[in-house]
Amino acid sequence: MTVNVLEIAGMHKSFGGLKVIDDVSFDVRKGSRTALIGPNGAGKTTVFNLLTGVYDIDAGSITVEGENITNVPAQDRVTVGMSRSFQNIRLMPHLSTVENVMLGQHARARKLGSLLYPLGMLPRNNWRIAAEEALENAGIGTYPGEVVANLPYGVQKRIEVVRAMVSDPKLLLLDEPAAGLNQVETGQLQELLERVSDQGVTILVVEHDMQFVRDLCDYIVVLNFGRKIFEGTPEEVHRDPAVLEAYLGTDDDTEAANAS
Amino acid sequence: MLVIQQLVNGLMLGGVYVMVAVAFTLIIGMLNFLNFTIPALFMFAAVLMYATMSGTLPFGNDLILTIFGTEYRWIAGIIVALIVIALVSLVIERFTYRYMKAKYGDATEHALPLVSSLGFLIIFEHLVVSTWGSDPLTAVSPFGQGTFSIGTIIFSVPQIVSLVLSLVVVVMLSVMLKASKLGRALRAIAERPDAATLMGVEVGRIVPVVYVITGLLCAISGVLFTINYTTVDAYVGDTVATVAIAGMVLGGLGNVWGAIVGGLFIGMLEVMSIYIVGADFAKVPIWGMLLLLLVFKPTGLFGHTLIGKGKF
Amino acid sequence: MSGYLESQLIILCLATIYAYGIFLPAASGQLNLGAAGFITLGAYASAWFNASTGAELPVWLSVILAMMFTGTIAFVISFPILRTRGVYMVLATFAFAEVVAGIVINVEELGAAAGMPVDAHLDVTVIVPMTILVILFSFYFMSTRLGLALRSIHDDENVATLFGVNVRTAKVVAFTVGAMLMSLGGSLYGHHYNYIEAQTFNVLLSIYILLYVLMGGTQTAWGPLIGAAFFTIVPEALREIAESAGLTWLAEGRFMMFGAFIVLLMVFRPEGVMTRTLQDRLGGGLFRRKKQVLDETAANS
Repeated sequence: MTVNVLEIAGMHKSFGGLKVIDDVSFDVRKGSRTALIGPNGAGKTTVFNLLTGVYDIDAGSITVEGENITNVPAQDRVTVGMSRSFQNIRLMPHLSTVENVMLGQHARARKLGSLLYPLGMLPRNNWRIAAEEALENAGIGTYPGEVVANLPYGVQKRIEVVRAMVSDPKLLLLDEPAAGLNQVETGQLQELLERVSDQGVTILVVEHDMQFVRDLCDYIVVLNFGRKIFEGTPEEVHRDPAVLEAYLGTDDDTEAANAS
Repeated sequence: MLVIQQLVNGLMLGGVYVMVAVAFTLIIGMLNFLNFTIPALFMFAAVLMYATMSGTLPFGNDLILTIFGTEYRWIAGIIVALIVIALVSLVIERFTYRYMKAKYGDATEHALPLVSSLGFLIIFEHLVVSTWGSDPLTAVSPFGQGTFSIGTIIFSVPQIVSLVLSLVVVVMLSVMLKASKLGRALRAIAERPDAATLMGVEVGRIVPVVYVITGLLCAISGVLFTINYTTVDAYVGDTVATVAIAGMVLGGLGNVWGAIVGGLFIGMLEVMSIYIVGADFAKVPIWGMLLLLLVFKPTGLFGHTLIGKGKF
Repeated sequence: MSGYLESQLIILCLATIYAYGIFLPAASGQLNLGAAGFITLGAYASAWFNASTGAELPVWLSVILAMMFTGTIAFVISFPILRTRGVYMVLATFAFAEVVAGIVINVEELGAAAGMPVDAHLDVTVIVPMTILVILFSFYFMSTRLGLALRSIHDDENVATLFGVNVRTAKVVAFTVGAMLMSLGGSLYGHHYNYIEAQTFNVLLSIYILLYVLMGGTQTAWGPLIGAAFFTIVPEALREIAESAGLTWLAEGRFMMFGAFIVLLMVFRPEGVMTRTLQDRLGGGLFRRKKQVLDETAANS
């Protein structure tokens, strides 16, 4: 029984000679709420893309729940218990809210029987009921048939989290879930994530809003220029000279203010 | 010797395909869609040329006759065809490209201009059928059957002139695309439409230019077709365009020089395979080869410009 | 039913079957301009299986075997063809159809360029139920999780992959099943008219079928039905009107109107006639269940 749900060891990635991720290693403890932060261009989203198999890594290894998934193709990684949301909303614009959530269930329904089950024709099937319940639990009550492109931004952001949740992940990867949300919406999101976490799901979140990170997370990993420069608790992170330098060294004043 | 004669005939036929292939490749390279108005414009120009020469335009025949006389009506035909096609191209640009944006980008978005161009193809074919009928229309060549021969190989003078003319036009065009400011703007659009706007290229004003250029290529090609082969009908564009598309694929999509070589080659291949294996079988090697090429070497034989980057 | 109406109904049924064959891959964003190729395969295969000069099998078995034959070929070529995207796929499928036509026209056993007589006759009482079956099947297919996966691929292939959708498999299935439907349509064509010629199944046919589908809309399974119905019924109705009212300009101009309609539809409604949103709006009371409590965010913003 491992205590780490995710172990990244010596991860490297270059794009056309440019080192984007340079020897990054860190672990994510089971049940933790870990934040991955860093200045713009530090490689945070790239880490997510490498974890979910959008790109192959050049060197190193990725282990989820003790299983080495370094060479597992992208479409199968979700089945080992890892699911994600996206920095820019990547919901399917022509699908309804419920259908988007049902896409999230795909990882659990890859058997031929499930693939050929008529979801749309039987209004009260288990998959659909589960998807509607997941939405309701997240506080998103809309027309289940509503096409998502017509919904407000904050709602779409939370639907992304719900879609990632219904694949039944052990590890939830969230890429800037609070970006662009107002205070009320951020509060609702945080509440949702805390409930998710209480169910035993580990959360790894990339976020710029430091208030949000402090409120939600119990562990922080800091990246800068593709290297890990710090890991520890939220209390320690503000005292770390390397982190302060990384943030103050950038031109981005708001981020520096947030970090300090 | 017969083989060489066939090769010569093929080369002449290839001359017809070259300009149409270049027109296809320009639109695909710049705007990334298969423009089915190209066969329509080719056919319309060819029919206009026929109509002017035979005095069967819907109006203005007497005026043309007074100015040019029977002997030089072919000059009027060229003028009419070029002007009409240029104007029509501007109208087509509006409806196939300018408004073509789906509300949410998706995988079939690139098909929108393709579909409207098919709409235009239908419009033009039926416009011609309802005006001139669906039977083949035969014009009298203004140059007669001038031929000369080297050894036993016979050359038709109008065909030689046409071949040289089309090569000169497309070579000039490709040089212009390399050197001029317009050419640079066009290439900027082809590479990255969004960035081109930022760099000060006015996409909205350049795209109509591309349409007019390709329209004129089709028009010249159609006019030469009528002069050389004298018989046209409402569907002549489809036949020519099908083969020209093959030539374009051979040269690589978006590659002007590839389209020139591909167009000439496909013309010779067509004539040779008809000569060797018979007309009915000629399709199989040509299209089979193209299918393989598209799948395994989509850049074509010479190509380096692989279009359809990003989401496509 | 009068002979005229019956013949029009047959044309409509065949167009609908073809359209669903093109629709299935199009629903996942794959444009297939090779309809004529698969229809040719279906028509000729079924004719040969059934013919006294061929395998002499009963007609129903011939049609099924033809579907399996076409399906196998589609399956094999789908792997290379689905490597291509966008305009390359349009061209590759088009090239495939040309190759099929080129081969068929050279096989003496299939009548070569002269065409081939077909033995067994199937009339409207078979074709209409088969069409309804195809429509129902397509609705079922699109309502499955596989159909959901296809629609997701249409919107965003990469994200679909990350949620566990095997994009390649889904595309291959849609392409192959679509080809089998077109094969069925081709067989029915052959057995109804009892004579087939490779030249009938030309590029114009492929173009029209693709138009039906894109005009009708690829977002819902209603699209191909609406597209095929609209574009076979309206020109015919216009002809009828023109003849009875003696309007020669309409009789000649109806195809131009058809073309203009296509152009304008792409300007004003590029998604096609039937969209997902429209389906919901029309379905209103029937399919939409109780309005759930709108959450505050949605109401406020």
